Amino acid sequence: MAERWDRERVLALAPDAPSQRTALSLASGRAWPATGAAAGADAVWGECRGSAAAPYRTVVDLSGPAYRCSCPSRKFPCKHVLALLLLWSDGSVPDDAAGPPDWAGSWLMARAATAGRAPSGEQAEPKDPGAAARRAVQRETRVSSGLAELDRWLCDQARQGLAASQQAGYAHWDDIAARMVDAQASGVAERLRALASVPHSGAGWDGRLLEEYALLHLLAVAYRRQAELPPPLRDTVRSRIGFSLRQADVLAGGPPIRDHWQVLARRDLEQDRIRTRRTWLRGRKTGRDALLLSFAAAGQALDDSLAVGADADADLVFYPGAVPLRAAVLARHDDGAPDGGPPDGGTIAGLLAGYAAALAADPWLDSWLAVVEIIPVRGPAPAVRGADGGDGGHAGALPLHPGAGDCWPLFALSGGHPVTLAGEWTPRGLWPLTAWDETGRAVPL
Amino acid sequence: MSEWQDLVTASLIGTERAEVPAPAVPGLPVRADAVPGDPAALLLDRAALLTVARRGGTLIRMAGSGFQAEPFGVAEPDPARAVSPAAGRRLARMLGGEHPDLLAEWLTAVVAHGRRIPPRLLPALLDRARRVSPSDPELRRLSAEAGGARARWLARLNPDWTFVTALTESGDDTWRLGGKSQRRGYLAALRARDPAAARELITQSWAAAGPERVMFLSVLANQGLSLADEPLLEAALDERDAEVRGWAAHLLARLPGSALGQRMARRAAGCLRIERGVRGTRLIVTPPADCDAAMQRDGVTSRRGGRAEMDGRTHLLHEVLARTPLRTWTGQFGRTAEQILAVPSDAWAPVLFTGWSRAAMAQRDQDWMTALIDWALAGGPTGTLFGAETLRQLARRADPARCARETTAAPAAEIPLPIRDAISVLRFRYDMLKELEL
Repeated sequence: MAERWDRERVLALAPDAPSQRTALSLASGRAWPATGAAAGADAVWGECRGSAAAPYRTVVDLSGPAYRCSCPSRKFPCKHVLALLLLWSDGSVPDDAAGPPDWAGSWLMARAATAGRAPSGEQAEPKDPGAAARRAVQRETRVSSGLAELDRWLCDQARQGLAASQQAGYAHWDDIAARMVDAQASGVAERLRALASVPHSGAGWDGRLLEEYALLHLLAVAYRRQAELPPPLRDTVRSRIGFSLRQADVLAGGPPIRDHWQVLARRDLEQDRIRTRRTWLRGRKTGRDALLLSFAAAGQALDDSLAVGADADADLVFYPGAVPLRAAVLARHDDGAPDGGPPDGGTIAGLLAGYAAALAADPWLDSWLAVVEIIPVRGPAPAVRGADGGDGGHAGALPLHPGAGDCWPLFALSGGHPVTLAGEWTPRGLWPLTAWDETGRAVPL
Repeated sequence: MSEWQDLVTASLIGTERAEVPAPAVPGLPVRADAVPGDPAALLLDRAALLTVARRGGTLIRMAGSGFQAEPFGVAEPDPARAVSPAAGRRLARMLGGEHPDLLAEWLTAVVAHGRRIPPRLLPALLDRARRVSPSDPELRRLSAEAGGARARWLARLNPDWTFVTALTESGDDTWRLGGKSQRRGYLAALRARDPAAARELITQSWAAAGPERVMFLSVLANQGLSLADEPLLEAALDERDAEVRGWAAHLLARLPGSALGQRMARRAAGCLRIERGVRGTRLIVTPPADCDAAMQRDGVTSRRGGRAEMDGRTHLLHEVLARTPLRTWTGQFGRTAEQILAVPSDAWAPVLFTGWSRAAMAQRDQDWMTALIDWALAGGPTGTLFGAETLRQLARRADPARCARETTAAPAAEIPLPIRDAISVLRFRYDMLKELEL
């Protein structure tokens, strides 16, 4: 029998929050007249009463995991799969020594047969170095002409005026983004797709659109003149355009840095059915910040190995760049990593000085680890104020990111007292992610 | 930063028609001289430079722009300890949709242990309490109490949560001048502090209360019901308003020592007897013949409601059993609840199960509830819809610690659904209450 998953792992599979809620309400023995789990075959199945006359038949291959359900839902996995897994996680699905019923068994068998045929070692090393080199040259040519086209498009926008953008539909940005995909500049394409919502993002949209166009223009110019750039900045430019490095090469290439890394914050994002988990670390000895990225297609679980609030004794290798932030874990040494307690919260002035210095090296940097000692305040919008009152003479307050909503849990946690807060500092405001309560426990917000 | 605004304006109009402004960036030389090339590219160049300069200089930008709001006072310290992390996780699960109907029981236990809700969960709890009332005003009161000083502090910031302070900071004016829900909150809080004073207030206000009498009785139902309330309730049995009479009869039936209980016991005594015959010991059942006026006064109704599965006399038996003090049976038969339930009762078993279960829940009789649950889980008469619903309610009221046998065994596939659900609820409640003791 597979190791029983805990509830969090099951809920993490949900494609969205409504699916989570309906699954929780469905996860009751009442809705499931028949369920079973295979003792050896790592599978769970069940029949769920739905709105249709016939029950929905749901089966999960836990080794994949892979799912199948007879319901018409287009969500994947559907609520029935999630509810069935919740029941199983709860210990409410009995082991069935007789094995799965035919409708589940045939699908499981078919899967097992395909798995046997699957080729091993999908990500094989390139076989022919000559062909790889030709492909690399071809790609440079494509990116180069793609970015030239992008820069002409940007200049056209600036020439004709951005005022028309408010009437433009999504296609306006999707078309140019699609051309950047063809040009193999996926990083640029992603930035362009995100722009479609800017004209409807409220007051100041024109300034925000200009900022993004200007920075894309800067990126195109930087690529054109990359030979003049210092190597770390060139790496930054190329990675922002979409030249990605293989993690194995990064791990093999860079010097590992061992530290007790405090896991300070985590943020999950979703775009185009791919979920991204951003985990922010800070080394206790080195004081370095690191960003770990983990990706998952819908239905797969994100990397859960680093819990917010804990310390990890690990070797990290940083991706090259003008401001090396992104890192990968080479090895963990967690025989007795101390559970270090809350981090030292800095001042707002310190946060902004650090961000400004990093920005000088990487002008495209738009998210930066913030660890500050603050008091949340409600001005016209939720904001945070430096805990020491004056914050070095500048009575500065920072807005919280409008997308973070009301941030009531942060206010509840503070009660008007200073708290240590970790989050992402972005040009639109601070996105609060973790706060430490008065007992020193990390509380995800 | 009007220089940035100049650039934005030029970009909105477009460089075909607008000049490209030359902004000054602090620390960099101004380059206003004519630059050859595309003015559009020049605009983007300058915008990029200024964007990065502005992002790097954020603090200066923010200080003057209205974010200097002072913090709004500090929450008072709360002497009560927060519940354990495990209990906090369980609250988060309940707020996320798991067994939401057990929230009131959990909060009651938190208050009884003198503990506090972890602050981070207060916003979600207060939102829930705001949404479910007025169908459940108790949840507001319990949330406000378990939330303590931090909840009162939050309520000053968010108008949605003012019910917290309305409930905890109300004075005598609230009773004289407040609306119905404020008066209810005041009365419930008084009842929690001083049951006799609340009773006195109800007695004084009764004559002038009109439709609020139902609200009075619902407050009595929630807390501290005792025989001292009997005179008030017995008098209410003769009220004109049928809803008031129904509530009064319902509450008196919860008090095994009440006169109503004794009247019911006399009606019920002849209905059941135990006989030893050739087929062994059996429970012989004779349902009451009809429903007279005195029985109706005591809340027995001949209307069967949704229980069409019972015929008229069976229904009457069920109504009488549900209001009869359970010690009538242990006394009459000289047997414990468990032993009585073990006597075969043939076709009468379903109505005995539901009738006794309602009595056990009303009288908060844990011996009977435990015995009835054991009976049901051992394959007792829960096959009918009404029986299944009764087991559902029993599982939410019986002391889960006394049903420990069922809470540990993993449910098997062939067990019927109502029983599987009951086991899962008992297990959830067992863990939930245990966590609060730590």
